[in-house]
Amino acid sequence: MVTIADDYDERTLIEAAQADPARFVDLYDRHFQRVYGYVIRRTGSRAEAEDITSAVFERALTNLRRFEWRGVPFVAWLYRIAANAIADRRKQTERDSPDPPPDMPDDRESEEIERRALIADLIERLPDTQRQVIEMRFAEEKSIREIAAALDRSEGAVKQLQLRALENLRKHMEGRHG
Amino acid sequence: MAEALIERLDRTIDVMLGQGDATSALTDAELAPLARLANDLRSCPSAAFKARLRANLERKKTMSIVLEAVKIREGFTTVTPYVQVRDSGFLEFITKAFAAIEIASVPTPHHVHREVRVGNSMLMISERASVGSAPPHGSFHIFVPDVDATFERAIAAGGRSMGEPQNRPYGERAGFVEDPFGNYWFIATSLGPTPVPEGLRTVTPYLHPRDAPSYIDFLTRAFGAVEEFRAEHQGVVMHARVRIGDAAVEMGEAPDRGEKPGFYLYVADVDALYERAVAAGSKSVLAPADQQYGDRLAMVEDLLGVTWAIARPA
Repeated sequence: MVTIADDYDERTLIEAAQADPARFVDLYDRHFQRVYGYVIRRTGSRAEAEDITSAVFERALTNLRRFEWRGVPFVAWLYRIAANAIADRRKQTERDSPDPPPDMPDDRESEEIERRALIADLIERLPDTQRQVIEMRFAEEKSIREIAAALDRSEGAVKQLQLRALENLRKHMEGRHG
Repeated sequence: MAEALIERLDRTIDVMLGQGDATSALTDAELAPLARLANDLRSCPSAAFKARLRANLERKKTMSIVLEAVKIREGFTTVTPYVQVRDSGFLEFITKAFAAIEIASVPTPHHVHREVRVGNSMLMISERASVGSAPPHGSFHIFVPDVDATFERAIAAGGRSMGEPQNRPYGERAGFVEDPFGNYWFIATSLGPTPVPEGLRTVTPYLHPRDAPSYIDFLTRAFGAVEEFRAEHQGVVMHARVRIGDAAVEMGEAPDRGEKPGFYLYVADVDALYERAVAAGSKSVLAPADQQYGDRLAMVEDLLGVTWAIARPA
């Protein structure tokens, strides 16, 4: 899936960030969804996934100078940091920590991470109110009643927006795969 | 029919969010693709979190340039004048004239390196017999985050190497450059372990507000505080830092019981200082112990009832 042009772009972004840490956010924007997707599959809890994702990017920023480009995707380096952060967290909370999770996602998992990253991308392009409903319903786990109160709409209207948003996402996903 | 799908979808989402079993939705041909998508949405990050982490990283990166990555040895500032002389006559002169105090003296095969305090300033001196009659225009010692990177930049900017970066016996990795105008720059990164985290001083005020976000907001509006980081766990601000002018103030939320404010003290040897503080009349609150998050921590209450957390970072 990764093309030579992507490779070149990525390398340019990494070198820019190594020279000027202000550019690190470009790498963050590019890889946030994948790292979060990788972490949440292994942790299950949103709070823990947020803590660990923060730690991953902070460590990556601190250690960016040590990253050497050898043609291995940058995201693989981030996954390794994430695997270590998850293992550290387990050691803190469990006495007999199980074996650390495998570094790299297998093909099936990669596909799932990519699909979720694509969905997250598509959410950002939804019409404002649909996006707000999805954000509140799934990320903030609010009830239809709470969302209706927050948006000053009827519960029926919120359910309608929820359905439309999902249908929109589905349509775009099919468009991508087709 | 559309009406009914709305309700079926919403019920399915309710079951999913309640962590229940929503697999029955998969047998409903109209609902199934939307239910699968809804299941994916549960694992999507919140936009607020994504934006907050991005802002934190942006703040961190500016700090890492200005402050954080530079370990400066105690007593020094970023740039220190470095005087090249033939012998100890110069040290004698400034001792008599300005009450200079010698802090360190390191003889090497080529010269004697001295570090001297004059009032609140530090001065470095290099004594070597071979110093010519035409000394450089000026010479400076400078602490940087990464001596190798700065050295390379200085060479690329037209400097001439007077010594590649290497670890030096006085606790620094240092490289030396003559700039195009004849000035000498002694570029260094401190090797010595510092128990004080970057960006902080030895003692930091530590507060326990019931509601940290509102308190930070207040500090921002009232005193121009700038938030440096905030670590939350399950909705509780475990640790946050703001900067007011050149000082850091830290806090950890205590939602139920609002604790008294105190001080956070970073030292190399927690156990020794804890014993000394107790021997001096403090009350022990927490004997030295390694914490889950990596610090070694002890706590005492002083004669005024102020809590001191004595810590060595991981």
